Amino acid sequence: MKKVILTLIALAGITAISNAQLIDEKDVTVTMDLQPVLQLDMSTPNQIEFVFDEINEYYSGITQYAATILKVSSTVSWDLYAVGRSNGTNGAEFWDQQIDYGNDNPNAVPNLPLSLLEIRQAQPNNGSNAATGPFADYNQAFSPSGTPSAGNSLYVNGGTLTPPSGDDKYIGGHAGTSGIAGDDFLPGGSYLTQTGNTSDYYYALDYRIMPGLPAIFPNAADADGGAFEDIVTTNAAGSYAEPGVYTMYVQYVLLEDQ
Amino acid sequence: MNSKLILLIFVLVPSLMKAQVHCGAVSFEPNVPVAVNLTFDSFSQYEAGITINNVATLRLRVEDQAIPDPDCKWFLHMEVDNNPGGGTSSDEWETLTTYGSGTGNKPSLDILQIRVRNNCQTSPIDGIFQNFSNSGDILDIIADLLPLTTAGSCTTNVNGPGNYQGNYSEYTFSIDVRVRPGYDFNPGVYELNVRFHLEEQM
Repeated sequence: MKKVILTLIALAGITAISNAQLIDEKDVTVTMDLQPVLQLDMSTPNQIEFVFDEINEYYSGITQYAATILKVSSTVSWDLYAVGRSNGTNGAEFWDQQIDYGNDNPNAVPNLPLSLLEIRQAQPNNGSNAATGPFADYNQAFSPSGTPSAGNSLYVNGGTLTPPSGDDKYIGGHAGTSGIAGDDFLPGGSYLTQTGNTSDYYYALDYRIMPGLPAIFPNAADADGGAFEDIVTTNAAGSYAEPGVYTMYVQYVLLEDQ
Repeated sequence: MNSKLILLIFVLVPSLMKAQVHCGAVSFEPNVPVAVNLTFDSFSQYEAGITINNVATLRLRVEDQAIPDPDCKWFLHMEVDNNPGGGTSSDEWETLTTYGSGTGNKPSLDILQIRVRNNCQTSPIDGIFQNFSNSGDILDIIADLLPLTTAGSCTTNVNGPGNYQGNYSEYTFSIDVRVRPGYDFNPGVYELNVRFHLEEQM
């Protein structure tokens, strides 16, 4: 009797084993590595020169149209801003004086604020709805001579790269991470796939410097445009910019929305 | 009396289990897991996507029993899995790590596309990229409960006994993968598993 039971158990086991072969599975595992790509293509002369040697140039300033073209490609939500910087020869927020002309009159001030450089972007910033300052970007027209405006004054922050705050100017996007496209960032994309005659991924930038007469740079202003930083306001009545050669640079920063 | 009852159970239960078995065996040959790594590190890859043809080849063997059964038929489907037990939402890729701020959206599962093809175009979805919406979604390659279509006919829905050695164009399936992420998702490393399931029709 035991032999019969054992035989039947063996047969049952074999049957069960054979049933296991009636299903088979094969796995394909797909791993996707999405690496962030932030690409800023810039077309610009190595050096942009403003030579003031005619009286009308002091009055009306010199404008370099579309001197810099910025093209953005980004796989993440992004912000773009410009910041004025120098080597700090005259201080972190001033142009570097390479040489001075004249007789060092006590009213001749060598410390020219970086914010005297004005920028105008042709394409408005469509990612700045959450901006809280008077000027969200550099899209406003250059002000006429004799009408000071802080609307195009370059953002400066103590000579550092620190991003502008909600009160300051961005070229694209703005401060904050609301997660709402258009409020404080521009979504990922590229100028390569844009159609039409405008694009949030393509910016033509004009530069202007207007010394005025006397040369006090009346449009220089602080980061949020709340106060002017012209030579007289920051020094004393009767002050003016010391003639000479000055240099500075503009840094364009493209970064993930922050 | 009790021993007779036990004997009866031992005989009947396996018989019942086997009552609907019509084939001798079904299998993938070889059955080695495949891992596909897609690295997106240029703008053009994000825009155009990455396509890898023939990331895996399914070679099928479906054997008849010693005494051939005319009801031996099979079906084949694929099922997507994002490890939902790990807390992944059903419509997203499983996150292994994130880059940057990590505040963006996780990739949606539907950006993965799978294409199945063979020379006889036996699958109704042959040559067409398919995508999934949620973890656990199943797409039929050869559907269940179809009438028998014998090997060698080189037509749609071949599902009878056969193997890739005798009928390569009907029992071999090439798997292509395409992912086109676009710019909506947070950078990072993500994973999905696609399981191909071969089973005898019951």
